[in-house]
Amino acid sequence: MALSGRVPLLVLLGLLPLVLRPSASTLWLWLLVVVVVCTVDWYAAPRPSAVVLSRAEVGSVRMGHPTATEVLAHNPGTRRLRLLVRDAWPPSAGAGDDRHRVDLRPGAALRLRTTLQPTRRGDLRALGTTVRSRGPLGLVARQATLPVPGTVRSLPPFDSRKHLPSRLARLRELDGRAAVRVRGQGTEFDSLREYVRGDDVRSIDWRASARNRDVVVRTWQPERDRRVVLVLDTSRTSAGRVDDVPRLDSAMDAALLLGALAVRAGDRVDLVAGDRRVRARLRAAGTRDVVGRMQDVLADLEPVIAEADWRSLAGAVSALGRQRALVVLLTPLEPAAVEQGLLPVLPVLTAHHRVVVASVRDPELERMARRRDDAGEVYSAAAAEQELRRRARTAELLTRLGVHVVDADAEHLPPALADHYLSLKARGLL
Amino acid sequence: MSAGTTTSRRSSRRGTAVLLLAVVLLLALVVALSGDPETATPLDPENPGREGTAALVEVLADQGVEVDVVRDAAALEASEVTTTTTVVVSSTDALGRSTVERLREHARPGLLVLLEPGPAASGALGTPPGLTVPGGGPVAASCSAAGVAGTTGDRLADLSLEVDTATSFPGPGCFPDGGGGHLLVGDDGEVVLGAAQALTNEQVLRADNAALALRLLGGGDRLVWYVPDLGDLASGDAVSVRSLLPPWLLPGLVLGLVAMLAVVLWRGRRLGPLSVEALPVVVRAVETTRSRGRLYRSAGDRPHAATALRAAARARLAERLGLGATGGGPDRVDALVRAVATATGQDPGRVAALLDPYAPTPTTDHDLITLAQDLDRLDREARHP
Repeated sequence: MALSGRVPLLVLLGLLPLVLRPSASTLWLWLLVVVVVCTVDWYAAPRPSAVVLSRAEVGSVRMGHPTATEVLAHNPGTRRLRLLVRDAWPPSAGAGDDRHRVDLRPGAALRLRTTLQPTRRGDLRALGTTVRSRGPLGLVARQATLPVPGTVRSLPPFDSRKHLPSRLARLRELDGRAAVRVRGQGTEFDSLREYVRGDDVRSIDWRASARNRDVVVRTWQPERDRRVVLVLDTSRTSAGRVDDVPRLDSAMDAALLLGALAVRAGDRVDLVAGDRRVRARLRAAGTRDVVGRMQDVLADLEPVIAEADWRSLAGAVSALGRQRALVVLLTPLEPAAVEQGLLPVLPVLTAHHRVVVASVRDPELERMARRRDDAGEVYSAAAAEQELRRRARTAELLTRLGVHVVDADAEHLPPALADHYLSLKARGLL
Repeated sequence: MSAGTTTSRRSSRRGTAVLLLAVVLLLALVVALSGDPETATPLDPENPGREGTAALVEVLADQGVEVDVVRDAAALEASEVTTTTTVVVSSTDALGRSTVERLREHARPGLLVLLEPGPAASGALGTPPGLTVPGGGPVAASCSAAGVAGTTGDRLADLSLEVDTATSFPGPGCFPDGGGGHLLVGDDGEVVLGAAQALTNEQVLRADNAALALRLLGGGDRLVWYVPDLGDLASGDAVSVRSLLPPWLLPGLVLGLVAMLAVVLWRGRRLGPLSVEALPVVVRAVETTRSRGRLYRSAGDRPHAATALRAAARARLAERLGLGATGGGPDRVDALVRAVATATGQDPGRVAALLDPYAPTPTTDHDLITLAQDLDRLDREARHP
């Protein structure tokens, strides 16, 4: 039951009889009248379950981008329904105006639209729809909360997509579709064609020219159909926030950019994410919309407060295929975690694959090492310097094991990783 | 040094507090000893102001009249009233039904004089309600013409009165002024004076005011001046506020209260349950490093901190000067020190004291801060020589 603003007004209306006949009995009589009228109104109010609510599929949206959900309210009964409907969502769904005043005549239906703008990644579920059904006098209403399930999938935002066009341009240069067509490392023979002015004379195939009336040049194209395996670490170290963004989210951004680039380059992209166990696996061989599928798989991943089990993650990588691949480990360069967990497993991976470790660096650490104004800051600076040195040593250790380390700020990691991929591709090291 | 400063500051603060306390105590003492504050109540026998009657009381006392000022009903009842006693009542508005009864009872042997009773007091005293009128020129007594006889009337026969404002009572009375008289003699012989301003310090010398006052109040050999106190009123005696309010007000207030309750219920009912959501874990990536720094500090581990700072500075400088990665070897350190001294133009001994892993460790936090800042400066100088 819920009262409306008319009830206090009705109570105050009792001042009129009270002035005309000032006595306590008038007061009690009036209050009795109010109670009776309210009770009658409550009985006369239609039940909230009289309205039939159903929700259209919301689908998915990139985090931070607006979308909307629609609830269809249908009145199958014979009575007019005057409702106040609230479509409740978790705060991180960023629901706009979720309250709707509805006046439904018998048999009528209405769409109630609530805008959403998710501020968190993952599946956001509707919490239930509260219906308040007014009585004919509008004094009292019946209220009930009905479950109207619905989910909006908030995808990783992929902010680094802005770097994609410039990297694709570089890729086209490699690809031979642009002006430069020279033979080099990382290219394979593509075809023979007639010489046109401007072609590099070094690419003239003399033997073929001898058989032909015209001069013939060879064209080259970069290696294709290589494999890229992205391994995303969702363990405790990925939960740490760098400038208030979890490292995992920055790593996802980098993985998405690299995935998008590799697919355009004609390579196959696989994805493994996990910590103590494998949480997500994606074999993307031969599919076009790899980014969309990756976003979908990554949407619901959250950091887990547990140590990463690299043995099982390496096993998952091996299970994807024995063909040589570029394995990108997206894990923070946390000395203790790397030395204890990753190092014992690395030889297995490096034996078969080319391994790159991509880590989100925390600029705060360097800022901390620079601040030296009072005793507390100096001790912190000492701790930061020590941490930086240990990181440098870990990176050095990894490099010595034949692993390339890309360590960059959250903002710069995706392009840095993409550039590293392009340089590997240009040198034919995939 | 710092401890001494703190102590002296604290003691000076305590001295200020003591001084302040002493001043407050002194003030309180002066106020307490300065005696009763002068009252500003109109017609009060101890009020020397324009509206007081202290002068009159003084003169009466000089004339040999025994003046007794009483300020509550108990004191009044304790005072002696004989046939030659005059009881005069000022501040009559403070009288209530019960105090009037006690007053009448006690003052019966003597002469009762009531000064300018207001509308509320008139009701309690049973005197006709008066009307405030502006005074004019002198008004003659004309008591006999008004039908007022007896001792009072005779005593005032040839006097005239002049005041600024006065209360005029309807019907016959002395000092008639068009509608009514300024002085009334009641059934029990009590005198009601509407022109009490004639007794005040300011106006007592006008016309025959002084004579009127002395004849009226100095008739006997004893004067009891009663200034009634509101605190003596029996409960239920005062005029109830309730009787002045409209009768529907109280139930109206209850109605308002119920309406307020309805407002609370209206606004307090939530439209469905609260939206809940599991909050994400918020851990900053540098949290462990920061807490390790705090740990060093609480342990006071200066050697460790100094070692870490020096090692980092050595590594950075070696990289900057192109010496390659440095191990801990003494010859490598020596080479680095020489290179840094050359690059920055500083004394090699000083540079060695900063960078050498075996240099003495700072003994206080202050020295550690100095070391850290010196290392930072050296690093910057090596960058921009």
